[in-house]
Amino acid sequence: MKQRKFVTTSLIHVVLILLAAVFFSPMLWMFLTAVKPIGETMASPPKWWPSQFLWQNFPEALSYRSKELGYIPFLVYGRNTIVLAILTVTGSVFSNALVAYAFARMKWPGRDLIFAITLATMMVPFPVLMVPTFSMFKWLGWVGTFRPLWVPAFFASAFSIFLLRQFFTTIPMELSEAAKIDGCSEFRIFRSVVLPLAKPALMVVALFTFMGTWNDFLGPMIYLVDQETFTLSLGLQAYQSQHGGTQWNLLMAASCVVVLPVVVIFFFAQKLFIQGIATSGLKS
Amino acid sequence: MAMGWLRSVGTAAFLVVLASAVVISEQATNRQKKKERVTVVYWEKWTGDEGDSMQKIVDWFNESQDRIFVQYLSISGVNDKTLLATSGGNPPDIAGIWGEQVAQFADAGALMDLTPMAEEAGLDRSDYIGPYWDMVFYNNKLVALPTTPASTAMHVNRSKMPPEYDSPEEFPKTIEELDALVDKVSKRSSDDRLILAGFLPSEPGWWNYGWGKLFGGKLMEGDKLTIDSPENIRAWTWVGQFGKKFGNREVQDFQSGFGNFSSPQNAFMTGKVATVLQGVWMANYIRLYQPKMDWYAVPFPYPADRPDLKGSSFLGLDIVVIPRGAKHPKEAFEFLKFVQRQDVMEKLCSMHGKNSPLSKVSENFFNTHQNKHIRLFDQLARTRVPLFADKLGIWAQLATELNNVTQEINLGTKTPEQALHDAQARLDGQWEVYKKQVLGR
Amino acid sequence: MKKPILTREAATAFLFASPWILGFLTFLAYPLLASLYYSFTNFSVLRVPSWVGISNYRELAGDEVFHIALKNTLLYVIAAVPLGSVMAILLALLLNTKVKGMAFYRTLFFIPSLVPMVALGVLWLWVFNGEYGLLNEGLRGLGVKSPPNWLGDPLWAKWTLILIAMWGSGNAMVIYLAGLQDVPVSLYEAAELDGAKLVAKTRHVTLPMISPVILFNVVMGMIGALQVFAVAYVMFPGGAPARSTYFFTTYLFDNAFKYQRMGYASAMGWVMFLITLGLTMLALRLSSKHVHYEAMQ
Repeated sequence: MKQRKFVTTSLIHVVLILLAAVFFSPMLWMFLTAVKPIGETMASPPKWWPSQFLWQNFPEALSYRSKELGYIPFLVYGRNTIVLAILTVTGSVFSNALVAYAFARMKWPGRDLIFAITLATMMVPFPVLMVPTFSMFKWLGWVGTFRPLWVPAFFASAFSIFLLRQFFTTIPMELSEAAKIDGCSEFRIFRSVVLPLAKPALMVVALFTFMGTWNDFLGPMIYLVDQETFTLSLGLQAYQSQHGGTQWNLLMAASCVVVLPVVVIFFFAQKLFIQGIATSGLKS
Repeated sequence: MAMGWLRSVGTAAFLVVLASAVVISEQATNRQKKKERVTVVYWEKWTGDEGDSMQKIVDWFNESQDRIFVQYLSISGVNDKTLLATSGGNPPDIAGIWGEQVAQFADAGALMDLTPMAEEAGLDRSDYIGPYWDMVFYNNKLVALPTTPASTAMHVNRSKMPPEYDSPEEFPKTIEELDALVDKVSKRSSDDRLILAGFLPSEPGWWNYGWGKLFGGKLMEGDKLTIDSPENIRAWTWVGQFGKKFGNREVQDFQSGFGNFSSPQNAFMTGKVATVLQGVWMANYIRLYQPKMDWYAVPFPYPADRPDLKGSSFLGLDIVVIPRGAKHPKEAFEFLKFVQRQDVMEKLCSMHGKNSPLSKVSENFFNTHQNKHIRLFDQLARTRVPLFADKLGIWAQLATELNNVTQEINLGTKTPEQALHDAQARLDGQWEVYKKQVLGR
Repeated sequence: MKKPILTREAATAFLFASPWILGFLTFLAYPLLASLYYSFTNFSVLRVPSWVGISNYRELAGDEVFHIALKNTLLYVIAAVPLGSVMAILLALLLNTKVKGMAFYRTLFFIPSLVPMVALGVLWLWVFNGEYGLLNEGLRGLGVKSPPNWLGDPLWAKWTLILIAMWGSGNAMVIYLAGLQDVPVSLYEAAELDGAKLVAKTRHVTLPMISPVILFNVVMGMIGALQVFAVAYVMFPGGAPARSTYFFTTYLFDNAFKYQRMGYASAMGWVMFLITLGLTMLALRLSSKHVHYEAMQ
């Protein structure tokens, strides 16, 4: 019995390690390229291991052009991106949870039709909507500010609505009914019964929203006008030159730094959504 | 009990964070602009070092006077951003786009007519190397001004040349001689794989629109497209014979081993191709990645039966425009005038490692330039046979089609005649639609 | 008593759904209607749109490049969606076991979907390089004599993107992981009492319980695949080689911003919308038998 368990466990480990190696290798290369001297980046045939570890590439990448600009762009861009992330994640989790609840667990006229329309909005390719959306924000006077990048997050998004709605429907109706019998209002049921059980899904929404904001390039490029308001993803283009020769090692170093916070957050947030034992609960 | 208290504190803290986030985001975009001066908004395509070079020019201008402040934004998506901003009724005062876009933007009525301001400033064709001025002059109006130009030449890796082609004077003059050189110089390994190509049109493959022009072929005559003209077919047949000579699959495999263009493993710099058709900026890369390389540059060869095409060069141009609807066109033009000044323009072009678009050049420019062959590139810019993008509203579609044509020929999926006929048919349709919908005729 | 216009529940529901309804009316309704209008115009973005009726749609019908893009996109979807889904589910199942170091493994598999586009494009060009790329080095190590020229061969270029999509299935994997948490342990226990082993448990307990999540990922995967854009745009400009990697959204984007034909692009967008809608409805209809909702309404 114990032997069987050992075999299974080792097998799982082996498979995971192999897959992990495949999945992770491009990242590893990105990190190694970051510390290479410029001559070894992009080498063909590729050179995995740097001949020297230029750790100073990291501070150099982060303070790139700080002399010309008079401030450390990376810190400023980082601050801007973090602020945006806080706003969008908050707005997204709250609004999407509310809306998805209505679609998943309440009966109301037009519900299924409106849900279908919600899904349908995701099917229109974004470039087609770019011009009128921009005009609309222009009319509101929001171009040049951060508002187009975070205010819409407070009004839910089709993707997250769909996601949470699917999750909310996996929670048995009996739980809601039991609470109703106990005299709870719909909002109370939402807050105390459904939300706690849907924590994994909410974490997913938070995580994805965070990632979306962190890596968004098009939005900031279109709506931001002042270099000092740039986000990290826009900042990365500063390493690229059309005819001058891109600093690949600095670009990779900067990219590593941009990826790092998300990795750290994910690593620690896992506990929050991988619960030990899920309740089957007909608990009240 | 403690949980409840902790919860309230947590919620309060969270709300504080949220509120500060809103405040910070609002403040960050609300900084005071320089009120005393007129602010000219300038969006430019260059990032990295090139972006920095222009920033220096902007700083120079801002410091040289106190009426106008140029607010400079270096952004790679300048085309999309300018389109959107113009559609929203709030374009930048100056946009740094590409020379090939003149016709397209002008046909859409998006460019301000600079002729009166230029006349007042005393700028005219004689100040510039002819073709560069012609690129920004459309429908009898001046619609843009040059920033950095480019010319092209054949770059040669001396260490791969047999002794009889050791110097620029001895390098093949005609395309037929070049073909002979390619046959002589190209090498295969012991297991018959290509390891050195004398020349490959697809490296770097940036002038696929122009192969026809090298052979005297025109893409347009009057109002009619002539993609599949005999000269063009001849040109692309010549392009295709490299694949025939070496084997299509061979070339594909060989090319896939080329390092990234912007790297020390650039195919030319690592001796995988002995010669390459490249622009004036090539010296920047060589200096950065392979400074010890022994190379020289010569005009690209011409077909033996067309001596009138001798000394041709592909010319490119970065331009600045004042979009229609810009808030401060007069002040914007002041800055543009500043850039056109000889000392300013030479500084900018020198920092970029390019030649200057002005007809007058100082000795100092040549002597301090990073490209040791800059005199040749300057000469080539003044060639009798300049080759450049046609001023056509559908140039973008045309260039895409010709790229596709070249790829199909290189892959061997179509013959040159077939590929060019198909492109002609497709582009004829596009041109009809464009004429009807945009030009109204 | 007169019947109220809205039941109490319905009124509350509208309240709950109000952020979305408001948001839709504010931020989406105008752009959607405007883009529909644009599809009947010639619109260079720089100039006011001018009406051309259905000529954009007519032009689309005869546009060879559009047909190529459509074909490429459908081929991509047919390959990428099933493969990506299977990979994501497998990974999620693997990563849900109680083996030591799981948090570490999960992070490793998730990181790929975080890399900024700027670095990603270059990364992949290196991995898929025909001569010296990581992938082909690996294949040669496994004994494959002449591995494909991923970037230069029209036959293989699409597979480059499909493989990249599978590598990026970390997103879907996370969603599945979350879904797996909600499968009640009691069901597994009951199944074990009935003598079910791993495969049977997966088939009869896990998959049905996460079927709403599977539906979500498949539908989203399909919608996303139909709109494949960013990586293709960066790695294969113009759909090289020879338009084998030219997709719907890339052609649409080029028309909108490169060729200044926003009207034509809008028409393309709405055609694409109809196709996506059709496929999604098909998927939902086919799935209704298999998807199991606990909170059945």
